[in-house]
Amino acid sequence: MATDSQRGDGTFQEAVQEATLRERLGYRSEQDNLIGYLFVLPNLVVFSLFLLGPVLYALYISFQNWNILVGAGTFVGLQNYVQVLTPLPWANNWKPLRVPTANTFWWSLKTTAIYAIGTVPLQIYGGLAVALMLDKRVRMKKAYRAAYFMPVMLSGAASAVIWRWVLSADGILNALLPTFLEHNWAGTPTYALGGVMLMAIWGGIGSNMIFFLAGLQNIPEELYEAARIDGASAWHRFRHVTWPSLGNTNFFVIVMAIISAFQVFGIALVFSKGGPYYATTTIVLLIYERAFQEGEMGAAAAMAFVLFLIIFVFSYYQYRHRDQQEVDY
Amino acid sequence: MARSSYEYPGYDRSGAGYWSKTALLYGAVTAGALWMTLPFWWALSTSISVDPSAATVAFVPNGVTLDHFVTLWERDDVLIGRWFVNTVIFAGAVTAFNLTFDSLAGYALAKIDFWGREKLFLGFVSTMMIPGMVTLIPVYLILTKLGWINTYQGLVAPLIANPFGIFLLRQHFKSLPSALGDAAKIDGCNELQTFYKVYLPLAKPALATLGIFTFMGAWKNFQWPLIIATDQNMYTLPIALFAVRNQYFAKWGLMMAATVVIVAPVIVAFLAAQNYFIRGMSLSGMKG
Repeated sequence: MATDSQRGDGTFQEAVQEATLRERLGYRSEQDNLIGYLFVLPNLVVFSLFLLGPVLYALYISFQNWNILVGAGTFVGLQNYVQVLTPLPWANNWKPLRVPTANTFWWSLKTTAIYAIGTVPLQIYGGLAVALMLDKRVRMKKAYRAAYFMPVMLSGAASAVIWRWVLSADGILNALLPTFLEHNWAGTPTYALGGVMLMAIWGGIGSNMIFFLAGLQNIPEELYEAARIDGASAWHRFRHVTWPSLGNTNFFVIVMAIISAFQVFGIALVFSKGGPYYATTTIVLLIYERAFQEGEMGAAAAMAFVLFLIIFVFSYYQYRHRDQQEVDY
Repeated sequence: MARSSYEYPGYDRSGAGYWSKTALLYGAVTAGALWMTLPFWWALSTSISVDPSAATVAFVPNGVTLDHFVTLWERDDVLIGRWFVNTVIFAGAVTAFNLTFDSLAGYALAKIDFWGREKLFLGFVSTMMIPGMVTLIPVYLILTKLGWINTYQGLVAPLIANPFGIFLLRQHFKSLPSALGDAAKIDGCNELQTFYKVYLPLAKPALATLGIFTFMGAWKNFQWPLIIATDQNMYTLPIALFAVRNQYFAKWGLMMAATVVIVAPVIVAFLAAQNYFIRGMSLSGMKG
């Protein structure tokens, strides 16, 4: 980009000065207001029609006894929420978390939590590790990156079908294992959730790798050079240059991973339809069944809002505790 | 970004330490890459093998055949061609609308000084936290009222708004100098021309990134089409695969052939745009 002074263009200089002045005075023309809103209008319309409106509508539905066959029902206050949340596990000696049929909401919350705890760190730090390795002078960098990114391109449904094949009784995993270790991995309550988690980690590393690679490329090389000259070891360069510089990427990646972990749905449905014996029934899968198979929109909306609150709390916590250290180059 | 060895004092490219480190590095990335790609190979080899079972297709198919693909094409209850076209229309339309609307909004939020712009931006971005399931039920009810169930407009419309796209493009437009726009205006461009002729061409990497993301996201989208497309003529590939799976469970050759049909186009698209993609990501202000 040519700098302003190089152009020696009087009118251009003036324009720049005027723009700076305008900015400093906080001056806005009516025309700018109008044009600005015209530019965002399509998004505003779609947002209010398909996002904000529906959120309010869902809140309204969650206080109603709303069945899909009957349509709009009666106002029932907090009944849906009470129904979804009772029995409280601690009032019932934690029984709902051990017996899947006692209360599927708490059961599925536990299932989703196990899934999130097991997948999120591995997705993120696996992605970071791969990004660090592939940021170096590795031959065929591009081919490696493409390989790691391939699972990301696969739809959850397709990867669920593939992994179901790999983990099925006559699947490849069993062909590779010695006979005494053979299992119907996907069809056993004990292992099915593990299968879903394995699939999620497999599918999640690639996208995080891309985010971290982008973050790594934004770190100026001079910082590393300076660190090298000061005699910093590889670990110190990572700890004091790379890691702080990735603060924002980290925050973004963690929030996205948590949000998507709590919303896991497609892979669980196609892999095992929530089964066997509710082993892979996640919260969103439960909401889907309640809403679109049993038609109980009111109860499903209440569950959706409880889920929203959980995700909101996690995201807000991350936001408050993210690395406050701003790095400027 | 060349990091040649002579630039760094004390950086030694020879010696046992260097070579063992290198071996470790390559070993690790190769092992990971195999884990990532082997399932694809298994899917492909199963889809072309004569009699798929674990023993035969663990690594290579026993006898190559295209029978499974032919069956997929010929069965009356498997409308693979129609589903493929549906998915192209769906993903294409979603991508086109998103790129248009998000770049307009992203530009306005970065470069036009209008009242309430920061608050509006925050509002857009915070909607990213709303789980899809919360809005799914009401959107479904709204579209039922509009009579858009099992239609293309029903499939596409709710996915046009994408806060992530607005965020990405706004960051990118912000990183471009304002002086360019001022110069264009002195030369007589109005706001739309400034946007279209000056800034939009400069945003190509970001647009390519967003384009790939959106296209891939729509191509893969399972949740929304599952709800809105109940007629098998309106299925997209992922939910069609789900339906086929329910019907032909454990016919692995057929299932894997269907999977290959779904995956191949996206992989080709990605490989074609890979350069743009990674560059776009790093240019698009992921650093906030």
